[in-house]
Amino acid sequence: MKRVYVPLALLIVLILFPLVVTDAYYQHLMILVLLWVAIGSGWNLISGYTGQVLFGAAAFFGVGAYTAALLLSKLDVSAWWGLPLGGLVAVLIAFPFGWICFRLRGPYFALATLALNEIFRHIATIWESLTEGMVGILVMQTFISKIPYYYIALALAAGSVIMIDVVTRSRLGYYFVSIREDQDAAESMGINTVYYKMISLCLSACVIGLAGALYTNYMGFIDPKVVFSLHDISIMAILVGIVGGVSTVYGPAMGAFIMVAIQEVFRSGGFGLLVKLGKATGWPVMATVTKYVSEAHVLSFGLLVIFVILYLPNGVVGDWSTLRKTLLFWKRETA
Amino acid sequence: MKRAALLVVGALAISLICLGISMAADPIKVGVVLPLTGEQAKFGEIEKNSFLMCLEEINKAGGIKGRPIELLIEDDTGKPDVGRSAVEKLISQDKVVVLSGGYSSSVTYAMCAVAQQRKIPFLVTTGSADKITEQGWDYVFRLNPPVSEYPQALESFMKEVAKTQSVAILHENTLFGQSGSKEFAALCETAGVKVLMKEGYEAGAVDFKPLLVKVKAAKPDMVYMISYIMDAALLMRQSKELEFNPKLFVGGGAGFTLPEFAKNAGDAADDVFSADLWSPKVPYPGAQEYFDNYGKKFGSPTEYHGAEAYASMQVLADVLKRAKDLTPAGVREAMLVTDMKTVFGPVKFIAYGKKKQQNQLPTYLVQWQKGTLETVWPKSVATKPYVYPILPWAEKKK
Repeated sequence: MKRVYVPLALLIVLILFPLVVTDAYYQHLMILVLLWVAIGSGWNLISGYTGQVLFGAAAFFGVGAYTAALLLSKLDVSAWWGLPLGGLVAVLIAFPFGWICFRLRGPYFALATLALNEIFRHIATIWESLTEGMVGILVMQTFISKIPYYYIALALAAGSVIMIDVVTRSRLGYYFVSIREDQDAAESMGINTVYYKMISLCLSACVIGLAGALYTNYMGFIDPKVVFSLHDISIMAILVGIVGGVSTVYGPAMGAFIMVAIQEVFRSGGFGLLVKLGKATGWPVMATVTKYVSEAHVLSFGLLVIFVILYLPNGVVGDWSTLRKTLLFWKRETA
Repeated sequence: MKRAALLVVGALAISLICLGISMAADPIKVGVVLPLTGEQAKFGEIEKNSFLMCLEEINKAGGIKGRPIELLIEDDTGKPDVGRSAVEKLISQDKVVVLSGGYSSSVTYAMCAVAQQRKIPFLVTTGSADKITEQGWDYVFRLNPPVSEYPQALESFMKEVAKTQSVAILHENTLFGQSGSKEFAALCETAGVKVLMKEGYEAGAVDFKPLLVKVKAAKPDMVYMISYIMDAALLMRQSKELEFNPKLFVGGGAGFTLPEFAKNAGDAADDVFSADLWSPKVPYPGAQEYFDNYGKKFGSPTEYHGAEAYASMQVLADVLKRAKDLTPAGVREAMLVTDMKTVFGPVKFIAYGKKKQQNQLPTYLVQWQKGTLETVWPKSVATKPYVYPILPWAEKKK
């Protein structure tokens, strides 16, 4: 029963969130978190459950984003149609890619996805007559309030988590895991590994593409460097997955929250707390500390990953019981 | 018991600190968003320093009606979503009355959209994509000219002096390179100048010889290059190696005007022209002083981005002084009627073409002469006569 109640309670909290917290800044951060929940979940399905490490999430993200943007700029169709279509087009890209590249295994497949990412970034950069190149494409935001975006992002995030939950508990999920554990054994058991890897990749691409299309609608401006970014999208998707917990249903959700929170805490110097402290105490040291802390967010990502891999190899959610025990133990000792 | 006491003391200390903050002289809060980390950090740093330098001078002179200005500088890390977070925070938490900054166009666009929606005036410092002021947004003002207007001075030079017949355009594949080269190609076509080739390259490339051999074979009168520092220097050094001698080498601003360019390219930089928005020798009050003071204070030279930032701060101070009430709407009213001189040139926000609330500025043509950057065109502001046509590499060596 607990399996249903805890997520349900969380969902209700998330539904009520924008009604309680009306500050647009926090609403914006939560929209980013929800967007990353969807991307992380998509990544987790193909990389975590099926074991085919995806280094090119940005390829699908960018294709979804560009689908929405091009619909508006070329065909004058509302970018909202791009939301379903973005997912579809991402799948259409994933299909031939999988067809060719599922011959590759392990790191070779990962490298192929990396190449896919770069290929699309170059196409979007050079094909100026279609994509405007680095000039980028502008889309006017439909709503001024953040609440509609919030609920769409929430629906996408919840949908992708539920999708993972349903898929992984079905026959399909067991096939995926068997492929991850030993592809040859799975093949000899009569599982059509290419077919099931393809299903996994297409589902992932669809979710990530949807997130990309939503990004276009919400941010209102895209260019190749932003949406096909290796560092800011592809690697971030992996970090979200690893920190939260690879092949856990709620891992990416936790990972997304942690990553967005860390980035923001560092960037804003602990939400401006350090600056205030510096002013109140008048110590010049504080200014230096603030400066370094706010410049250290990239470093913090690295340290976090090292910490997680060393002490929580299954991620925060995957090693939740260990984490809880450690925390409880620590509490008891200090009390 | 001890712990409880500690807690009480701690809470008291924190509340006292908070009280102290609210009791300090009430500054006027201005938000500035710049890339302080990431790839664009170098320019973000120059702009930040310039903002703070000007701020110090303003506050020393008494601030605005006795109140100091407080700059809340946030880092956008070069990403649009982060820039947006920063602006949301500045508006809803810090309650700033006006925003400024904005380096890369994509980040600037995302931030301006928020500012417009929340009705907080945004003075764009650098973000140069034409579209930003073409949205009909009435809370967005732009200090720098849009990228399409950078080569204006070059156009008149080509027509009146060089009588250029054909050009080859090389550009990095960035917003700056792509939109700049497209505008320049269109400009050449209307002026009857033949564009022999227009090629992009990946920013950060190192071997340009295959590209330059192709350009050399096309025999253009002029080569126009839009590049950053390293590629600009390499393009010139490799042109020299290949004995490639067009009548004119022209850079489209950016990398070609930085001191590092001359350092890296050595004597291959000599006689190279560049479009430029600003140099310390422009005839605007305070420009030379700003350049000298910056060098003294930070130990490295500044360039046009810094001047843009310094001028932004000058405009902000002027606007805040004139604003009838210090609300976003009041500041916007005051900004609309801005008419002043800054180190970056005269500032006035006007509507023309598709643009709205855009500042118009003349641009310049500069030339490297014996290691220093001289303004050579238009003649009225020239510091040295131009050297044209330029000597072939082989004759220069003597």
